Amino acid sequence: MSASANVEVKVKEFSKEDPAKLAAFEKHVAEGGLVEPNDWMPEAYRALMLRMAEHHANSEIVGALPEGEWITKAPSLLRKLALTAKVQDEVGHGQMLYEVAQDLGKTRNAMLRDLITGVTKYHNCFNYPCPTWADVCMIAWLIDGAAILNQGTLAHGSFGPYIRTMRRINMEEAFHFKHGEDMVLTLMSGTENQKKMAQEAFDRWWGPALAFFGPVDPPDVMERPAMKWRMKTATNDELRQKYVNRFAPAAMATGLVVNVCEKDEKGFVTSATPDPLLKLDKETGNWGFTQPDWDEFFRVIRGDGPCNKERMALRRFSYEQGEWVRRAILNGATNAPCNN
Amino acid sequence: MLSKARTNIPEATGDLTTPEVDSFPIWEVFTQKNIGDVHLHAGSLSAPDASLAQHFAREHYGQDQECTNMWVGLRETFIADEGNQESYEVFVQWKAGDRHQHVGSVDACCGCEAKAKCKEQFVGDKSFYTIWTAPISRLTKIDGDKDMIWRETTDQGYRLPRGYSRVVRQKWDALRAEQAVDTYQEEDLKETF
Repeated sequence: MSASANVEVKVKEFSKEDPAKLAAFEKHVAEGGLVEPNDWMPEAYRALMLRMAEHHANSEIVGALPEGEWITKAPSLLRKLALTAKVQDEVGHGQMLYEVAQDLGKTRNAMLRDLITGVTKYHNCFNYPCPTWADVCMIAWLIDGAAILNQGTLAHGSFGPYIRTMRRINMEEAFHFKHGEDMVLTLMSGTENQKKMAQEAFDRWWGPALAFFGPVDPPDVMERPAMKWRMKTATNDELRQKYVNRFAPAAMATGLVVNVCEKDEKGFVTSATPDPLLKLDKETGNWGFTQPDWDEFFRVIRGDGPCNKERMALRRFSYEQGEWVRRAILNGATNAPCNN
Repeated sequence: MLSKARTNIPEATGDLTTPEVDSFPIWEVFTQKNIGDVHLHAGSLSAPDASLAQHFAREHYGQDQECTNMWVGLRETFIADEGNQESYEVFVQWKAGDRHQHVGSVDACCGCEAKAKCKEQFVGDKSFYTIWTAPISRLTKIDGDKDMIWRETTDQGYRLPRGYSRVVRQKWDALRAEQAVDTYQEEDLKETF
């Protein structure tokens, strides 16, 4: 499971910056120029980029938690191998993104601890339950698919270390997505029970997948720092539309039904009806769709989601249980090279 | 029997009970994708010492993605101006956003001289963004020929997108064919009766 660095960040006044330097920076970035950690950058850019990378890193390692729990329960050796590799990839993405954030001025320890104590956040979609194997399949297909789409645009951003990381991450996400597609197709070519299981998981994940790209764009989105400074190169709504255009027809082709669902507080579907707006507009080439439940989205972000507490308890447990490992490897560490 | 240790974890909030450990030093990793290719900067990692940095690099930058050779060194040695008389590997980042690329090696008395020699011998009047140099004695080099990194002896297709292309295609074809037969039978029945 992977996540976008789609985080709404409020920027304090950055009028304190030297206007000439700021103007030169904005011109450089607007013309497609890239920024490296040692270049001059507005403090607000540094702060935003740090938060974006940190949030993305947090999401990677939190997202790996529910999937890791499924390794022992995966239905075949191949699926176990693939899921193990995927979880390893996700944690690796977290490691690379923490490196990017670290170079912008916050220590890795501080980031790991802020995540657990709730000072910083991770992507909202990981606060939903993953009760069946079909959920693992849908996450790999729908959520990793959304991540590739988003990160593909982030790879054209302005911060050098972040875009280098995005390029590498996207190569690995492509495996997660393809594996997800394979698993969904396996279920949808299977028995009636498998199809039912897939549909139920799809109903649970379609909403969070649409909400994955973040809230509806504000009218001044292009003027906001994230777009103006090319930290992001596509808006939330553009990405969401592209996603629906790609995934709604694909889901229908497998035999899945795109439903609008109501859910209980545990994240389980209580009613599902086919999306009445799901139609192809032949002129624009865009598919119509019902927006995800934004009230639910904001409620879950505020911490009142089905799995917020569970995910953080597991992260805290992992961190505290791993304490002796950190202590042990620090004992007798040497920086001399080791050519065996 | 599956362990239940990770389910039903008690809820906990507030400060962590474990103390913060010291930050680990940062290491830079270069990988060579195929024999004969240049070594390209793969990324960085945090590790307490060279031995663990090497293990981490192998798992993270080697096992995850195919490569034949790998070099690992402390970040500070790449940017340092100091050093001793010896051979240095030299790397150029041609423009902002690029990965550092290994361009060759030079003999120098310190990092500063190595950078100057790199500029003279490998850059000339071309424009570049930054130069890194690393004394060879400070690099951990892993030769994939003698010491396998990417485990190509077993099929690693399950961790690559191309490992799924054929089977995904077959499944789509089968699914569409089945749907076509279903539609045909439905219409056939309608017309017949």
